Amino acid sequence: MIDSFPYESWDEVTTTFWTFGPENSTGTYVLTVLGIALMVLALVYWVWLENKKLNAQAELLRGAGALLPPASPTAPGPGFKEPPLAGPSTDPGP
Amino acid sequence: MTSSLASVLSALLAQAPTTEELQEQINLDSLVLLEVFYFFTVVIMWLIHVGFMAYEAGVARRKNIMSTAMKNILTIAVVTPSFYYFGWYIYGCFEHGGPAEGHAGPAEFPGFCGLTAPWSEGMAGNLESSLTGHLSLVFFLAFLLFSWTTASIMSGALIERVRLSAYLILAVVLGSGVWIMDAAWGWSAGGWLTTNYGFHDSIASLVVHGVAGAFTLGVLLNLGPRIGKYDIQGRARAFRPHNTHLTLMGLMLIFTGFYGFYAACLFIQSTVFPGWLNIYLSPTTLGTIAMVITFGFAGGFTGGWIASKGDPFWTLSGGLAGVISVSAGADVYHPSLAYLLAASGGLLVVWVGGYIEKKLRVDDAVGAVAVHGFCGFYGVFLVGIFAGGFPTGVNNVPSSFGGQLMGMLAFFPLAFLPGYIVSWVLKKANLLRVPPEVELEGLDMAEFQQDFFPEFERVPETVVLPDGQEVEAGPILLEGYAQVNGDRAGEPAGRR
Repeated sequence: MIDSFPYESWDEVTTTFWTFGPENSTGTYVLTVLGIALMVLALVYWVWLENKKLNAQAELLRGAGALLPPASPTAPGPGFKEPPLAGPSTDPGP
Repeated sequence: MTSSLASVLSALLAQAPTTEELQEQINLDSLVLLEVFYFFTVVIMWLIHVGFMAYEAGVARRKNIMSTAMKNILTIAVVTPSFYYFGWYIYGCFEHGGPAEGHAGPAEFPGFCGLTAPWSEGMAGNLESSLTGHLSLVFFLAFLLFSWTTASIMSGALIERVRLSAYLILAVVLGSGVWIMDAAWGWSAGGWLTTNYGFHDSIASLVVHGVAGAFTLGVLLNLGPRIGKYDIQGRARAFRPHNTHLTLMGLMLIFTGFYGFYAACLFIQSTVFPGWLNIYLSPTTLGTIAMVITFGFAGGFTGGWIASKGDPFWTLSGGLAGVISVSAGADVYHPSLAYLLAASGGLLVVWVGGYIEKKLRVDDAVGAVAVHGFCGFYGVFLVGIFAGGFPTGVNNVPSSFGGQLMGMLAFFPLAFLPGYIVSWVLKKANLLRVPPEVELEGLDMAEFQQDFFPEFERVPETVVLPDGQEVEAGPILLEGYAQVNGDRAGEPAGRR
């Protein structure tokens, strides 16, 4: 049986409910602005946090003297080790 | 007895649907089928991103695995909202180059453009069973997956030295701005390249792959090679992938996802159109493109295997190159033609990849510029030769070599310049590349404070010299570090 379910009489409530997405409503505009703000702030925070982490780790490595130039840079001898791990920095970020 | 039978029959007839009701039901079923079709292309296309992650993580050295994988995962986090808030609107409203007039919403500008604004009915939950109703949401999602793909193409080329945050900014520019602008121009029925020149790129050789490759080239020129990649004479060394099996599995997942990508480039609604249509609304069939992609892989594997003399990485990359080479004409190519053209793409990509690495000295860690960039442009070029004259779009403008050339000339600067300029700005702000100390130690330790294989011994890293000899990488990396640092060794790391 076609259209035996009262779908059409119920859908007005769904369509007009503010979270469902009625077009050009105040709620839709506000949600759009908030979403864009979150997107931009998240990107800015990514840049800031990573910059902090990378600089802290680089300082740690430099301070540990882990990456001093080799005495004879073109002649890898037996037992020469790769640059050592310095371990996690003391400033891993929040 | 007769009267009771008549009453039963009349009761049944009274309940029987009218012709109009049946027509309405058929329309609804047709739309539901289309919605379900696009939904599952989206599901299948997720495999492309699983594949990109495995592919790139396999290529990375063990010290950079998680930072490589996180790029692919976080692509979804940044491209999804930016494509929703800006990208889809560009596709809907920039078909003629600039924004359409009166584009504030459907009331001011009825049609597709008005439905692409993020506050419009077409971009949120709605109950309208029509092409501009809830169907536009799954249509949007298919394009969103294309956007992730475009950004992921760039991702692999930059690994092991790019900052995660710099990549994410570049991914937004490419995935939600650059590629969708070229799609509006040349990958829609109303785009100016389509309506004026008959530009034909049905499954996105150029508009996705070629454009991503050109953008990536612009970024790589500013990013520079990994420390130790080139010796003092400029000869290329090779870093060993930490897990080639993972890389090959990733490629196979990408290939699987490509079937969803191909299908999502078609359109059908049985109550409006009598058959399948391509993105330009020109007739084709699902079977046609499925044959072309399959023979494209076969030809590409063959070409890549021959040119690389059996190298596993380039054999599989040849398959991808082959498919990209035939995608532009996938709606009209004969399977044998697709096989032959894909083989040529698989052959050429090995040589182009070697040229980019050894002659141009551009360190593209996964060969993305060759596979996606070169073959993307090559695919559109091939349509001009082998499918010239084919009527494209609703105006039936014949495809031509000139029209294809026009697309290439429009899209290369559209892609290359933003990639170069944005990466140049990031470089000047010291936000493009990780500090050299972090690059040598590995990005995972700085980004995540841990080694992701704690139960395995950390064996010395190796590098393959230009003469093919494999040696310990330590001295070479430290030598490269000294060259990079130069006289800046006394500066704080944050200022370098």
